[in-house]
Amino acid sequence: MSTATETARPSAAPVVRDVRPDARRPRPRVGKILLGALGIVLSLVWAFPVYWMLLSAVTPDARLRASTPSFLPTHFTLSNFGSVLTGSGFGGALRMSLMITGVTIVVVLAFAFLAALAISRWRFRGRTGFVLAVLFIQMLPAEGLFIAQYKMLSTVGESAPVLGLNSVLGISILYAAMLVPFTIWMLRGFVAGVPAELEEAAMVDGLSRTKAFLRITFPLLAPGLVASGVYAFLQAWNEFTTALVILPAEDHQTLPIWLRSFLSASANRGIDWGEVMAASTLIAVPVIVFFLFVQGRMTSGLVSGAVKG
Amino acid sequence: MKRTRVVATGVATSLTLALALAACAPAADEGSGETGASPEAGDITLWLAGADTNDDLRKYLVDTFAEENPGSTLTIEEQDWTDLVTKLTTALPDAANTPDVVEIGNTQAPTFTYAGAFREVSPELYDELGGDKLLQSFVEAGSIDETKYALPYYYGSRYMFFRKDIWSKAGLEVPTTLEEFGDSVKELTSKKQSGFAMGGQDWRNGISWVFANGGELAVKDGEQWTSTLSDPNTVKGLEQWQDVFEGASNLPPTAKDEAYWDFINDGTDGAAPQGATIMAPGWARWSIGDMTKGDDGKEVRDGMVDDKKFDIFALPGVDGGVAPVFAGGSNLAVSAKSQHPELAENLLRIVYSDEYQTQLAEAGLGPANTDFNKLMEVDKFGEVAVETAEASKLTPAAPGWAAVEGASVYEELFQKIAEGGDVTALAKQYDEKLTPMLNGQAG
Amino acid sequence: MTAATPAPAIAIRRRRTPATPYLLLIPAVLVLLVGLGYPVYWQVVTSLQEYGMMQQFGAPPTFAGLDNYARIFSDERLWTVVGRSVLFCLVNAFLTVAIGLGLALLMKAVHAAVRVTMQVVLLLAWATPLVAAVTVFRWLFDYRAGVVNWLLVQMGFEQYQGYAWLAQPLTFFLVATVVIVWMSVPFVAMSLYAGLTQVSEEVLEAARLDGARPAQILRHILLPLVRPVLAIVLLLQIIWDLRVFAQIRLLQDAGAPISETNLLGNFIYELGIGSQDFSGAAAVSIFVLLLTVLLAAPYVRSLMKEDAA
Repeated sequence: MSTATETARPSAAPVVRDVRPDARRPRPRVGKILLGALGIVLSLVWAFPVYWMLLSAVTPDARLRASTPSFLPTHFTLSNFGSVLTGSGFGGALRMSLMITGVTIVVVLAFAFLAALAISRWRFRGRTGFVLAVLFIQMLPAEGLFIAQYKMLSTVGESAPVLGLNSVLGISILYAAMLVPFTIWMLRGFVAGVPAELEEAAMVDGLSRTKAFLRITFPLLAPGLVASGVYAFLQAWNEFTTALVILPAEDHQTLPIWLRSFLSASANRGIDWGEVMAASTLIAVPVIVFFLFVQGRMTSGLVSGAVKG
Repeated sequence: MKRTRVVATGVATSLTLALALAACAPAADEGSGETGASPEAGDITLWLAGADTNDDLRKYLVDTFAEENPGSTLTIEEQDWTDLVTKLTTALPDAANTPDVVEIGNTQAPTFTYAGAFREVSPELYDELGGDKLLQSFVEAGSIDETKYALPYYYGSRYMFFRKDIWSKAGLEVPTTLEEFGDSVKELTSKKQSGFAMGGQDWRNGISWVFANGGELAVKDGEQWTSTLSDPNTVKGLEQWQDVFEGASNLPPTAKDEAYWDFINDGTDGAAPQGATIMAPGWARWSIGDMTKGDDGKEVRDGMVDDKKFDIFALPGVDGGVAPVFAGGSNLAVSAKSQHPELAENLLRIVYSDEYQTQLAEAGLGPANTDFNKLMEVDKFGEVAVETAEASKLTPAAPGWAAVEGASVYEELFQKIAEGGDVTALAKQYDEKLTPMLNGQAG
Repeated sequence: MTAATPAPAIAIRRRRTPATPYLLLIPAVLVLLVGLGYPVYWQVVTSLQEYGMMQQFGAPPTFAGLDNYARIFSDERLWTVVGRSVLFCLVNAFLTVAIGLGLALLMKAVHAAVRVTMQVVLLLAWATPLVAAVTVFRWLFDYRAGVVNWLLVQMGFEQYQGYAWLAQPLTFFLVATVVIVWMSVPFVAMSLYAGLTQVSEEVLEAARLDGARPAQILRHILLPLVRPVLAIVLLLQIIWDLRVFAQIRLLQDAGAPISETNLLGNFIYELGIGSQDFSGAAAVSIFVLLLTVLLAAPYVRSLMKEDAA
């Protein structure tokens, strides 16, 4: 997150500062303390739902229904996690989610990147048409497409099960088709931001076109790819309506669907909020890990794309 | 997701009775799988809705199926009630991926039956599976004229669970008329306690008041269904329900048919319950009572052991007797596109076998074969269950019924009534909306 | 985002027969055709047919011309939902961007320790998966055991004892807005903050020395410099908030006045899967697509102009 901060530091200017009388200093300092306090308060507000999720996950369900909620883990228990993990297919759902998300990210980034390269580096017949089509496809409401998507995958699956219903590839392609347009649009700014002259200079120095691209252009695009990857990750990880229809088999469900099954109170049982919160926590963990992994490049990537795009 | 339902297995007392009954029941077939030439081996899938079929019942089905159909296996997959229609709509027409046998809500059965989703149950098979002994109102929900498609799976009619200690303390007796019931629960209502805890969108409980007053939701005239909310009797029932809701329930008008037992159980650390009375299907019993340690050491409800504290009664009718309540439950059908219809029919033979019907009854689920109702009558729960079931009514078996449920039309109507809306005006408005939908025309 | 740098495109134009861009487009076009081609085709065809439950189970559909469109256009529900969706989208998008901007400015002003705290907290909120986030808020606003009602009662607002937030459309959308803003602000705040760090300290210091007040610095220096980022995040929020579906559906599951809280996606879903009026749902989908194209027309025109240049 902080990479951009460093680059923007000035080196020469502050000399003037010492000339100013010290009397002016205390005021901004009080202001700064007040703003800092505001920042902490807002952090607490923003963190509260996450804290509440974790707290509820380690509290027995009966406690959660107490008329006075407790704000500290006074009845700490891991039994919610225990029953959630043993009770049903968390392992399978985690594996499905990871695979689907992984395949989706790779396909989306690779294909969208090539397309972004094409539209930002070349002028060709049909370019405007393509850009427009890409722009509009993402406006299509996905909620009416399920039946057709199901029919399509089911038919394909008869001859190629690896692409059919309940397959990782099948649903990944559907996700990719929904995500590629936006990703092209996002990456286009990044690609345009890397001057082709850089590559050409490298080629003059004797590098092949491919090598020049890999050594010079690609590293400059990394933040953009990370930013788009994060977007694709969140979309694929969170999606549940398509997954519900396209992955009908019980042992092929994804994490959001697995979580949803804890949420439905049926005629003979209520919602066990302790278990639901434990399940929610389990789903959030991989995302947080992923975010910590890519965080440095994420936001700087978002911005440079936006500024240059 | 499968979670072991909290079922204390104390009902085994009726086992001897079951055996006796099984012995004298007319033996339709000996050993379920032997009728018909042995079909090609295969794997079939059964979709069960919700967690009501408990793990013991599931295990019985899987094991028995494997035993009677060597080389074939049965896979049971549990579907969420919320998403059931979505998944059936996409999967059933698809020969390659259809489940072979599906459980479907009895109110959803007509729509799929009319659409041609199910395989016909031949008259011979129908007789073999129990014939006229099967719960007829459910059979009708899955039939077109005389042809049967979806058969009853289990039913549960609703009755009242109440806090006897609270009622007694207020000097109230079990009511004998619907009006007396309303007055009593209103008297028991305070800011912290609902005399009768019921959600506003819970039309499945609410329509009992309509039926009790002689009203109907819709009637069929020739081929046409007409919504009859404006019928004076229906309006009277709705108004009476509105009065009870407003005076006796602290739940929001948007609350659905939810886990009501939370309201009459003691709160955490012995806090007073939030409700004095609820209306729920019989199997709710196992979620009510004091805390006790189950077989596996987990804390579970004891199933209303303390009869000074918890008790039940059937919702009384307008002039005494028992009010006709909504019969919930589900049907079972073979997919028209099933690749293994013979195996699927063998599964039906197991489900409708004496053994399985016995187990259903013992698990507190109303058995499809009415002969086995007697098994439920071994205690007061069974007695009230059968009593209410005999008086129960179904929702209209109209082709568009699933669409009506899918669009939550009755939820909306009852919510507006619960919010204090003018019943006559609402009835007129929703009649206009419902009549085309019931006939399967896009609304 | 439209201020492109067309230079590189011209620089590489020396290739006579630009086959390369077409080759580069192939994977993206392919995935779009495979993933969306048939579903979109089905959508268009079905919107011109009478297609209900019978047809889904094999009865041949009949051609209906524009009947479905006539039917949905005369349905006042559609127009109510359109109005509601647009309003909801604009309120949420502007609120999210305003709060995000506020947090970004705050992060720039506070001590590094506070800033890192804020960033970590925002990251947590951002990483919380959608189903988990909505679930937590359902639990927070639960009418019986929710902590929000408990806090309000403790603060002396007795009327919130057992208050059902999701029961009225207005408070329902309030909760929905809280969820969506909570989830979306991190992206906006971090993007804008990264944008702000590109404003050099020198400039700010100089402005301060010239006696500029904080408000003036904000208006005349900071905002103009982050305007491109601001514009792109606002556009993204508008696109995303118009497509809100899952959050509403998950909240409705908890018990809500459904037809009065439907947004466009939910309306299409309910019409199709819920009421088995597949042709009506398809017609609404196509209509929504055309509507967004119409609304986006000004942007498209500027894009075309830029292309022609």
